[in-house]
Amino acid sequence: MQDKQFGAKSSFGFITVDRISKTFPNGVVALSEFTTHILRGEVVVVIGPSGSGKSTFLRCLNGLEDIDSGSIVVDGIVLDDNKKNRLEIRKEVGMVFQQFNLFPHMTVRDNINLAQRLVRKKTRAEATEMTMDLLRKVNITEKADAFPAQLSGGQQQRVAIARALAMMPKVMLFDEATSALDPEMIGEVLEVMKTLAGEGMTMVVVTHEMGFAREVSDRVIFMEAGKIVESGTAEHFFNHPREERTRAFLSQILT
Amino acid sequence: MNSLSQKARIKIRFFQNPSPLIDILKYLAVILAVIWLISAGTEKLGYNWQWYRVPRYIFTFEDGHLAAGPLIQGLMVTFQISGISLLLSFAIGLTAALFRLSDSRAARFLARCYLEMIRNTPLMVQLFFIYFVLGPVLGIERFFSAVLALSLFEGAYASEIFRAGIVSIHKGQWEAAYSLGLSRFNTYRCILLPQAIRRILPPLTSQGISLIKDSALVSIIAVYDLTMQGQVIIAETFLTFELWFTIAAIYLAVNVTLSVLVNLMEDHLGVQASP
Repeated sequence: MQDKQFGAKSSFGFITVDRISKTFPNGVVALSEFTTHILRGEVVVVIGPSGSGKSTFLRCLNGLEDIDSGSIVVDGIVLDDNKKNRLEIRKEVGMVFQQFNLFPHMTVRDNINLAQRLVRKKTRAEATEMTMDLLRKVNITEKADAFPAQLSGGQQQRVAIARALAMMPKVMLFDEATSALDPEMIGEVLEVMKTLAGEGMTMVVVTHEMGFAREVSDRVIFMEAGKIVESGTAEHFFNHPREERTRAFLSQILT
Repeated sequence: MNSLSQKARIKIRFFQNPSPLIDILKYLAVILAVIWLISAGTEKLGYNWQWYRVPRYIFTFEDGHLAAGPLIQGLMVTFQISGISLLLSFAIGLTAALFRLSDSRAARFLARCYLEMIRNTPLMVQLFFIYFVLGPVLGIERFFSAVLALSLFEGAYASEIFRAGIVSIHKGQWEAAYSLGLSRFNTYRCILLPQAIRRILPPLTSQGISLIKDSALVSIIAVYDLTMQGQVIIAETFLTFELWFTIAAIYLAVNVTLSVLVNLMEDHLGVQASP
């Protein structure tokens, strides 16, 4: 973690999540008084059983889900109903989805060019230059003119990462980015994520990959029923968990 | 199947997969029966077929030049009305669909009112209303009354098709566009509509064909389209059977051509292949 391309870790909160709550219309409580601070350059891995609210937490961070109460501040911008603020946050926060969500009617190049041209107002040449750089980074330059359906799952997810990076985000959110992949393709995607973490990108990662959490994360958050059960460094979390519930969860997934 | 005799099995296979020759024979038999029925019926009526008098209403010779007869002139009016209405109805339909899907309660209400009002009243009443009530008030002439009525009518149905197409696009597409910072307008323009249009092309074609057929109704406000021209000629010549057959054949030819063209376009766009 020497090369800090995205700025050094600092002590102040880069993302401040203050007592956010969210209940879905069907009565399911996804988040309840959830509070955390994420530092610049920090890699936070969020784990927990299904239905614990980890994906909802991630989706609240860029406003994909609205919160019922509490506040979220990203890089000094308050995420509220103000459309301008919201747009700023959407530009600064990149997101990678479980189902990739590439645009099926566009080539890989156009998928990555699109937001650069429409949102960042770049010319086609400028956008394409950056796109090719990013495709080199995720190691898939030869597929620039292919359509998403012609790619494997792992390749699609790497393109999706490149597409999010093209907006030069300050934070990257990964929502179970490897869960829909065949086992042999998980490695190539995790590799790209590790590289990003090494460059100092601020990352919030919801995953079931404990290896990734152990190796790459600065902090692990274990949550259940919309609350943080336990939070700490990977070393602490995997080797000396305090809570009984954490131990039970770990014993289930690590055997 | 084991208990069935060899003969029975052949019989079953025969009824499941009869040879194409059998199909053709059945088809011819049906056609012959229909022709026999009509000719027997008209004979009983004492109808005097005069097909030779029809071509002059399709094409006429003037000074050695081939000129369009009244039926073709009427067809051109039908084309004009249908063409303009088609474009307008798709524009109205898309707008209404976007209103229905918008966050604004007022826009959704407005679109809903439009849809229910148009869908639950007869096109003929709408035509009369626009021509006799709105026409004099707003100073709309005959032709544009017809275009307006047809566009509003077909637009209501097109809006439901557009809405279904947009809603059918996976939510993840919208979410990806959102998290990239795309505006709502650009999300529709670049992501949702290009994908939706591939899916809704088949029902939209049906709607277009309906529009051409419904355009026959404009004859009731005396717009000289294909149907109106036919009625005029029949009034003069009493060639009732010949002309209605001819007019039906012209509509059929136009709409079949349209279907085939859209089919080709679907193949080109890869409608079947889209996920």
